[in-house]
Order: sequence, then C-alpha cells, then structure tokens
Amino acid sequence: MAPPVEYYLFLSAAVFCIGLFGILTRRNALMFLMSVELMLNAANINFIAFSFHHGNLTGQVFSLFTMALAAAEVAVGIGIILVLYRNFQDMDVTKPATMRW
Amino acid sequence: MFEYAPAIALLPFVSFLVALSVGNYMPKKGAFAGIVAMGGSLLLSVWAFLRVSGGEVYNAPDLYTWVAAEEITLQFGILIDPLSAMMLIIVSLVSLLVHVFSLGYMNDEGETGLPRYYAELGLFSFSMLAFVYASNLLMAFMFFELVGLCSYLLIGFWFRTESAASAAKKAFLVTRFGDYFFLIGVVGIIATFGTAQFAGEGSFPVLAEHALVGGEGSIDTFLGLGEQAWVTVLGLLVLGGVIGKSAQFPLHTWLPDAMEGPTTVSALIHAATMVAAGVYLVARMFGFYALSPTALGIIAFVGGFTALFAATMGVVKDDIKRVLAYSTISQYGYMMLGLGAGGFVAGSFHLMNHAFFKALLFLGSGSVIILMHHEQDMWKMGGLKDKAPVTYYTFLAGSLALAGIIPFSGFWSKDEILFEALHYGLGNQPLLLGAYAMGLIAVFFTGFYTFRMVFLTFHGEPRSDDARDPHPVGWSVKIPLVVLGLLATFIGFVNMVPVAELLNADIEFLHQWLDGPEETITSVHHYEELLHNENAAHYVASDIGPYLPGALSLALALAGAGLAHKLYNVPDPEPHTEKLGSIRTLLKHNYYQDEYQVWLAEGVTQPIARAANKFDQTVVDGAVNGISSVSLGSGQRVKRIQTGIVTNYAALLTLGLVALLVVVGLYGGWFV
Repeated sequence: MAPPVEYYLFLSAAVFCIGLFGILTRRNALMFLMSVELMLNAANINFIAFSFHHGNLTGQVFSLFTMALAAAEVAVGIGIILVLYRNFQDMDVTKPATMRW
Repeated sequence: MFEYAPAIALLPFVSFLVALSVGNYMPKKGAFAGIVAMGGSLLLSVWAFLRVSGGEVYNAPDLYTWVAAEEITLQFGILIDPLSAMMLIIVSLVSLLVHVFSLGYMNDEGETGLPRYYAELGLFSFSMLAFVYASNLLMAFMFFELVGLCSYLLIGFWFRTESAASAAKKAFLVTRFGDYFFLIGVVGIIATFGTAQFAGEGSFPVLAEHALVGGEGSIDTFLGLGEQAWVTVLGLLVLGGVIGKSAQFPLHTWLPDAMEGPTTVSALIHAATMVAAGVYLVARMFGFYALSPTALGIIAFVGGFTALFAATMGVVKDDIKRVLAYSTISQYGYMMLGLGAGGFVAGSFHLMNHAFFKALLFLGSGSVIILMHHEQDMWKMGGLKDKAPVTYYTFLAGSLALAGIIPFSGFWSKDEILFEALHYGLGNQPLLLGAYAMGLIAVFFTGFYTFRMVFLTFHGEPRSDDARDPHPVGWSVKIPLVVLGLLATFIGFVNMVPVAELLNADIEFLHQWLDGPEETITSVHHYEELLHNENAAHYVASDIGPYLPGALSLALALAGAGLAHKLYNVPDPEPHTEKLGSIRTLLKHNYYQDEYQVWLAEGVTQPIARAANKFDQTVVDGAVNGISSVSLGSGQRVKRIQTGIVTNYAALLTLGLVALLVVVGLYGGWFV
C-alpha cells in the first residue's frame, strides 16, 4: 500500500521552500547553485509522484529530462563561478554588481 | 503612319545629353548637336504636318501606361491634330533658328559655359515639343513644369551676376504660384471625369459637353456646385497656370526681369516656347472652356486688360529688350482676348504670327546688341539703319507686324481678334466690349512704343561711339533674321478674313486647316457650335462687318506710329516721355506691381509663415518633446530597481510569482 500522493507533495513543497530560502538568503555562489538544484529536484518529486498516482510514465520521462537539464545548468553555473572567483577572489554573489545600467 | 512622332521631342533630348556629356570636346561646344537635332525635329514636324493635311489625325493616348488603377489610368500619349501639328512646326523652326543665331551671339562673343547653354536649349525644346503634343492634361502639366525649370536655368545662365540669379528665381517662383492652381485643376479634372485626355471619345471635354449640352450622363461635382459652375471652377484653376506662364496680369512681373538671360533665350522663351505654352493650353482645351461663359469672359477680360496695361508700361522703357518684354506681355494679352472672345482661330493665328515676329524682334535686338558692343540702352544707339541694313529691314518688318500695320502678319491676326471681341460683344456679351475697348486703346500704344524703339535704335544721328562704329555681325545672325523677316511679312496671308469677305473667296486657309480633315471634337466647326449653344457659352454674334473695326484699329496703329515718327524720327530726339511727369514715374515703376507683390510676400505671407512656425515649434514639437521627456524621466527612476545583485532579482521573481498566483487565484475562485 503506497502512501497517498499528498505526502509526496508536502515533501516536494518543503524541499522547494528550502531551496527558495537558500536562494534568498545565501551569498555564497556554490550554496546558490545547490539551492537551485534543490528546487529542481522538488519539481522532480512532483513529477514522479503524479506519474505514479496516475499510472502514467510521462512524468517520469520528464524528470529524466529535468535531470539532464540540471546537469547542464550546473556545468554552466560552475563555469560562471570559476570566472567569478578568478575576477573577485571571492564567491560572494553580491559583489559583482557592475553589470547594470 | 506616325511611328516616328516620339522622335520629334526625343531628338532635342538626345542633343541635351550629348551637349551635356561631350559638349566641351565638340566644335562649337555642342551647337551642332542642337542644330542637327532641331533640324531633324523640324523635318519630322513638317512630315507630321503633311500627314495631318493628308487627312490623318494621330491620337495615341496610351503609348506608355504609367499608373493603371481600377478607375483611373495615367498614361503618356501623343496627340497630333491640326493645332499641335502647326505648333510643332513653329516651335521646332524658332528653336532651330535660335540655335543658329546662338553661333553668332554666344560662340562668337566668347561666352563660357556653352555646353551647358546648348544642353539647356535642347532640354527646353524637348519639354516644349512634348508639351505641345501631349495627349492628356497630366502629361501636359509635367512638361509645363519642365519648361518652367528650363526657363529658370536659362534665365539664370549668367548666374554669377546677382540680377540674373534673382530674375531666374523670380520667374520660377511666380510661375510656380500659378502652376499650383493648375495642379489642383488637373487633380480636380481627373477626380471629376476619371480621365485627362484632350481628344477622342471619353476625353474630359467630351464628357463635360455630354453632361452640359447633350444631357447624357452627369458629372460628379464637388463643394455643392452645379455642373456648369464646377466646370467653370475647373477651367479657372487650370487658367491659374496659364496666367503664370503666359505672364498675364497679375502674374506678369517675372517676364520683364527674365530679360537678364541671353537675348537668344529671350527669343525662345517669349516667342515660341514657355510663354506660348499658356495660351496654347487654352487653345488645346478650348472645347472645355467653350462650355463656360464665365471662364471665357474672365479669359477675355484678363487678356484685354493685360494688353493695355503692359502696352502703357512699354512706352517709357529705355532698354530695347525691356520694350520687347512688355510688348510680349501685351501681345499674349491679345491672344487671351481672342480666345476668350470665342475666336479660337484668331487666337491661334496670333499665336503663330507672334511666334515669328517676336522671335524676329528679339533676335534683331540681339543683333543690335552685338552691333552696339553689348549696350542695350536705346538712348545710346541711333543711326544704325545704314550700317546694318539686314538687321534694320528685318527688324522693321517685325515692328510693322507687331504694330499691326497692313499687310504685315500682325495686322491680320490682331484685327481678327478685335473683330471677334466686338462681334460677340455687340451680340450678347457686354463684358467683351470692355475688353475690346482696352485692346483697341492698346493698339495705339503698341504702334507708339514699337516705332519709338525703331526710331531711337536705327534712325537719327549716332549718339555714342559704339553706335558710330558698330561691331559687324556674321551670317549666323543674318540668316535667321532673313528667314523670320520673310515669315513675319508673309505668314499673315494664310488667314485674311477681311479680304476673304471682300472677294468672297475661300482663302481662310488657317481656318480650314484648324477645322481639320473631318469634323472631330477639336475642330473649329465643333467649337463654334459649342460657342453658340445656349447650354454652353451661349455667345450670340452680331451682324457687324469686318471693315470698319479693321480700319479703326489700323488707324489707331498708324496714329501711334505717326506720333512716334513725329517725336523721335529726328536727328537728335529728346526724351519726350519725361514730360509725362508723375505718370511716367508710375509707368517706370511698372504701376508698383513688384512693390505690392513684395509687400504681399513680406507683409502677409511672412507673418503667417512665422505664426505657423511658432505653432510648429511650440505646440507640435512641445507635444512630441513632452512625451519623450516624460518617458525618459520615468525610465530614470524605474531603472533603480536593477541593483545588479542576483539575490534581489530572485526575490523580485519570487514576489512576482506569488503576486501572479494570488491574482490568478482570486479571479479563478480558488479561495471561495
């Protein structure tokens, strides 16, 4: 007997909120990236939970795509962080504020 | 077959291109290109003339379709009927003679810029010839404007002198003012009739005639006017262009100043091309004007007034070319009077005669100017009679024609014009009587100023060193003078109305010629029917004979010439006109026409323009600038949102999403 779908949704909402909190409060770029990962995986949990609930594989396939996307995003993100560190000797995201008007 | 007809106009265009591009490397700086082209045009014109007299009328309105819309097609075409065939010969002949004369007047006098001069002459001849055989009003308008442009270029040929540059500008602007009305008229005619063709079934004079006279079909009028009134308005709008180009009162002021151009150019402009274009246009669409008694009356009255007005100013001028300039204005007034009085033949006849004798007089004055080492003041001349017999006798022939002395050409046409005016004036058009009276008085002045000019220039004792020792003139000057002298003397014999009546003979050749081989809508016969139709002009003829009016005008011309003879044909003439006192001052200043027009420009137009400029600068620009500064200012404030800190962006993103969710939720009813 599988647990009801609401449990998964609560889990997913909790993970998403942790990720959001991390993005809004952390200054370290690596933490930032991790928080983004958390939010993406919260979405993945949703996908799989509903896929399981409806007995339909589409959601699972989508979550595979999301993982590939997340991997690509991390690759780009780490690249940016490396350049950031090289230029500012720091990983604080509030430091580079010059690329505005 | 008229396949070569386009070449009549295109040959001078080729000479324009040739003279412009390689004129500098040619012998005589491009003159020969022009002479060959004009000779070719003349031959083709004569050939077209022969074909027309063989009974063919060439009407090809759709040689080139320019715009093909649903209801309106704009086309270039060629119309060669008796009137345009006659005019083609006049234009190409005078232009050819002017080219030949230029060899003596421009080349031999060592002028610079000759390729430009010959190129402009070529362009001028091209535009005028194309105007003459244009088959529709829009094409005519375009070449009318091109003629105006060429006159600007040629009057300003010596553009380094300030007076020539300003005269050129004046000629352009004043004629443009009239052309503005012409343009509105063209648009009005196309909007009303859906066509601008001059001749053939479905042309605008025919459509108007059907609606007004035949009662078939109707025309769309605008401004709530009746059909006849609308036709009158359209006719008068087109007449605006005519008044500007043909130098009729009040737009005549540019013409005397146009004397700043080379004398050869004056001969071309005033005899056969630009100024003739206006009168020719009235003759071209005479079938349209004949529908409106008001328009005809205005044409006649403006013409009669201008004839008298300009003749009085010619009396006091001291510059030989200025006298001729005022005589030109006056003579074109006669033509307008003739056309307005319903004398289509008379007006066209005078147009032809005037083209020859005025070209002769201008070229003659050009010859005098060469003789006098470029002196134009008649008081410094005198006694040239024996030293330059060819110039003298040809000039005399032209003067006799201009003054209207029997049997020279001007007499026959001027007499016919005055007779027509009196003829219908006594019938049922009392307005024409006023125009007739002015034309008749002008005959006296014409005789006077013409012979004042002749006597001062050629008779008496030489009054300066230049006159005692004149510069000789060559064959290129004499040949055109002789050709034109013969024409000015004899061309009048083609339409001797009084003699025809007297002998009861059928010798009104010009009348028959303009009547055409068969009756069409542009033949004289048709025009006369229209003229007498009570739904059209409704002119009623009186039964007056041609002898008495003819004798009267001849007597007046002789009286004028006689007075000039008495006052000026003495060894040492005195400036008698100075005794006129304040009248002379008035005439010398041309009735202050220039002054009042300058006042109109500076006192009325300029303040209006200034006010309009102010409105543009403050209200229109203010609105535009206001909008841009508001968006600029708000942009300056809103950009502060962009802090550059990623966290802030993420917060905004989140808040935006939340707000969106709340809004969607409220409207989607999630919280109910």
